[in-house]
Amino acid sequence: MRLKKPIIAIAAAGALALTACGGGDDGGERESGTDVNQDDAGNTGDFTDPEREGPVEIEGAKEGGTVKVISQAGLNTMDPTEAYYQNTWSMLANLVTRSLTQMVYDEEQDAMVLVPDLATDLGTPNDDYTEWTFTLREGVKYENGEEVTPEDIAFGLQRSMDREQFPEGPSYSNEYFLGGDEYGGPYSDPKGEFEAVEINGMDITIKMAKPFPDMPYWGTFPAMGPIPEGPESDPAKYRLHPLATGPYMFGEYTPEKSLTLVRNPEWDPATDPGRTQYPDEYVMEFDVQSAQIDEIMINDQGEAQTTISYDDVLAEDYREMEETGRLAVGTFPLTSYWAPDYRKITDIRIRQALAWAYPYADADLAGGYIEGVTSVPATSLMPPGTPGRTDFNPVEGHEPHSTDPEKARELLEEAGEVGYEISWLYAKDDPLSVDVKDVVQAALKEAGFTPKPVATTVADFSTLRSDPDTDVNVRSGGWIADWPSGATWFPPVLGCTEVDKGVVGANYSIFCEQEIEDEITRIQTLPLEEQPDAWGALDEKIMTEYLPLFGIRYGGVAQMYGSKIEGYHIDNTIGMPTWKNIWVNE
Amino acid sequence: MSLGNAENLELEREDIVHEDATAQKEVAGKSPVRIAMGRLIHDRVAVACMVILLLLLLLGLFAPLINSALDIHADFESPDAPRPSDVLASDTYPKIGPPYEPFTWDHPLGIAPKIGYDNLAVLLLGLRTSLLVATLATVFSTIVGVTLGLVAGYARGWVDSALSFFIDFFLSFPFILGALALAPIITTRFGGEESTLKNAELLGLVGVLVFFGWMGLARLVRGQVLSLREREFVQAAQVIGVPTWKILFKEILPNLVAPIVVATSLALPAYVAAEAGLSFLGIGLSEWPSLGRTINQALNYYDSYPLYLWAPVVTVMVLVVALNLLGDSVRDAFDPKTRR
Repeated sequence: MRLKKPIIAIAAAGALALTACGGGDDGGERESGTDVNQDDAGNTGDFTDPEREGPVEIEGAKEGGTVKVISQAGLNTMDPTEAYYQNTWSMLANLVTRSLTQMVYDEEQDAMVLVPDLATDLGTPNDDYTEWTFTLREGVKYENGEEVTPEDIAFGLQRSMDREQFPEGPSYSNEYFLGGDEYGGPYSDPKGEFEAVEINGMDITIKMAKPFPDMPYWGTFPAMGPIPEGPESDPAKYRLHPLATGPYMFGEYTPEKSLTLVRNPEWDPATDPGRTQYPDEYVMEFDVQSAQIDEIMINDQGEAQTTISYDDVLAEDYREMEETGRLAVGTFPLTSYWAPDYRKITDIRIRQALAWAYPYADADLAGGYIEGVTSVPATSLMPPGTPGRTDFNPVEGHEPHSTDPEKARELLEEAGEVGYEISWLYAKDDPLSVDVKDVVQAALKEAGFTPKPVATTVADFSTLRSDPDTDVNVRSGGWIADWPSGATWFPPVLGCTEVDKGVVGANYSIFCEQEIEDEITRIQTLPLEEQPDAWGALDEKIMTEYLPLFGIRYGGVAQMYGSKIEGYHIDNTIGMPTWKNIWVNE
Repeated sequence: MSLGNAENLELEREDIVHEDATAQKEVAGKSPVRIAMGRLIHDRVAVACMVILLLLLLLGLFAPLINSALDIHADFESPDAPRPSDVLASDTYPKIGPPYEPFTWDHPLGIAPKIGYDNLAVLLLGLRTSLLVATLATVFSTIVGVTLGLVAGYARGWVDSALSFFIDFFLSFPFILGALALAPIITTRFGGEESTLKNAELLGLVGVLVFFGWMGLARLVRGQVLSLREREFVQAAQVIGVPTWKILFKEILPNLVAPIVVATSLALPAYVAAEAGLSFLGIGLSEWPSLGRTINQALNYYDSYPLYLWAPVVTVMVLVVALNLLGDSVRDAFDPKTRR
């Protein structure tokens, strides 16, 4: 999952301020009343409800009102097949486009629950998870009155295979669906055969190339929703106005500037176990400056009372915003880490020394993170709340989020590499990036390394980082799980890629060990109940035996809403608001 | 008539001649520069500005010494320098000093949020950077502008046309866009090595300022030279056979001292403001402490931590205003038509 801005550098430790903060001591100046509950962060693994039915009613909620949304980032693409950024994904999935399944917020448990959406339940697998059957609900209509048919779902699935037409979209269909490695999608491979889907009446059977126990989670993606085949769904048009099956449909849309969502009269609440339609409209404005957003939300005057922003509050305004009581904090499954280049830094002691030397608390402060809120101390790769995660310490004796330059120097002496050169990228035209660079440089020098930071610009950062030939030996990275499972962590972050062809993907450590590859494949064929623990064990094994990367912080969000907005909680699987619960209290 | 009388007359005449000569020497002594300086001393505003500027200059010049004497730090070079977690609370505001704690002499202007540098230390070094950049830019743009102006004014024909075209072309070129374009190029070329980046940044910035700043003086000088080259002393020198460069630099240039001094004293504050502006936009210096950079970082703190913003703003303001007022006074002092 990508963050709001199209630069993963945002999540990257030491680049820009947005995610994760560090624990550690403080001068005791503030009550940490809004500290996040870290144990349940991103926890939905055990929360499913296949029986849930619509309509949804929120006690005391009133219909009406316009919710204004302001944010700094624009929308990348609103085509459901390609939407893969936090903001676009979240808006489509919760308000506009329905899919096979969906996530809903459970207020009692303060957690997300997986429930059916267009399917009548959470799907029925065969024994080894190579086939999944979903039964489509009857009576669901698009915004234009047409009925949603199983063929539409099949076409949506078919479309999700087209990587050429939708290069930025999620690629789970290609990885798991039958024929995924060959079939190129309806636009790029019109003569190809799409073999993965079979329709029997209202039943849709999806065939997999390999076991895919997480299909119900993949089913929450807008890419797994219905799309009518034909000229209506031409990608050039569709990204500007996808057909709505949810409670809201597109009104006016100016990409990068504004979007208005209005009521969809064809949406029937009785068919929807998760969504609501309380506000009349959502009026969204993008490209608003962060400082201005904070100003508007803190003052809460006029229109601001019915406004929300899913941007994080700036560190300088955190104190003031928290006092207003209109700050929603929560975690989300982001791990920011430093990834030493596994091909270049081959001695594990040097990587461990880096983990000892890195100035976690200082980097958090310099980067504008708020301890306990937008930054949580990190240990394992999988963040808290991921099923099967265990609490272990990758580097023996190292207190998470603490820095000990002496210990680092000891390790370097042991390895005979005192003065080892470390080079990493930073963005010269971003003041926060420069400050973090200064902090890290001072800490590494103290620990006995020779720091050699490499200057680049915000615009070039991602490109250089994704190039395996860039002359750096450490890359900073961040990854958000697409759903709570180890399957969305290890294959993308630590699975082998075609490095000789210049492909790094999200594997910034350029780590590749056959033993681990085999283990990943093995776990994916295990019975569903055994998988979480197996992933947890793999996490511990990789981190303690190999340490290809070390966590700098886990993610957290601190988002703002006006005084007349009710039901604003944090969806901790993605770090966005619980749109389905929002209503306006005029 | 007796012979004695004639001798007396001789002596008297010599006395009178001698007296006249001395009187002449007293009257003919002063050059325009000396006259101007004399008038400047009596201008109270100018004197006040000079005092302030001298103070700022000394502060800037001795900034590193002052910083180590007061034990305040603007970076992490020294092992004594505090790290962010030493002086900042968990929400990036300072644990010591303003805005939430009482004033402390350890950090007279407070501590910077997020990074923990001492604000006074950064201010002094930033002042130093501003003065350094402005001085270098002024010196180089003056040299380039005067030389090209002299050549353009003195030469006739295609040389003059070509140079005039250049001057007009550069005058119409958008300065900010040029700076914006140049910054990433420098980063890419020199970004690998930190020490070279530091120097490259500074020279690059000075280069950009000079590149877009030499035209004003060139045009001015060219205009002056155009009127001077028809004068008799120039024609006389040409007839005698004095080489062109000697005519330019020994005959014409001394007559241009007044406009050059004026233009220089007005260029300095312009460059200070330009450097602050560029650093504020993020296309200035990242490896050097800079007033513009501090202002950029302090913008969001205008209501929660006003001192952090106002200290560098007031400093830039005082520096620029003092330089401007001094420049104005210098121009007035050189202008024979103004009477005080």
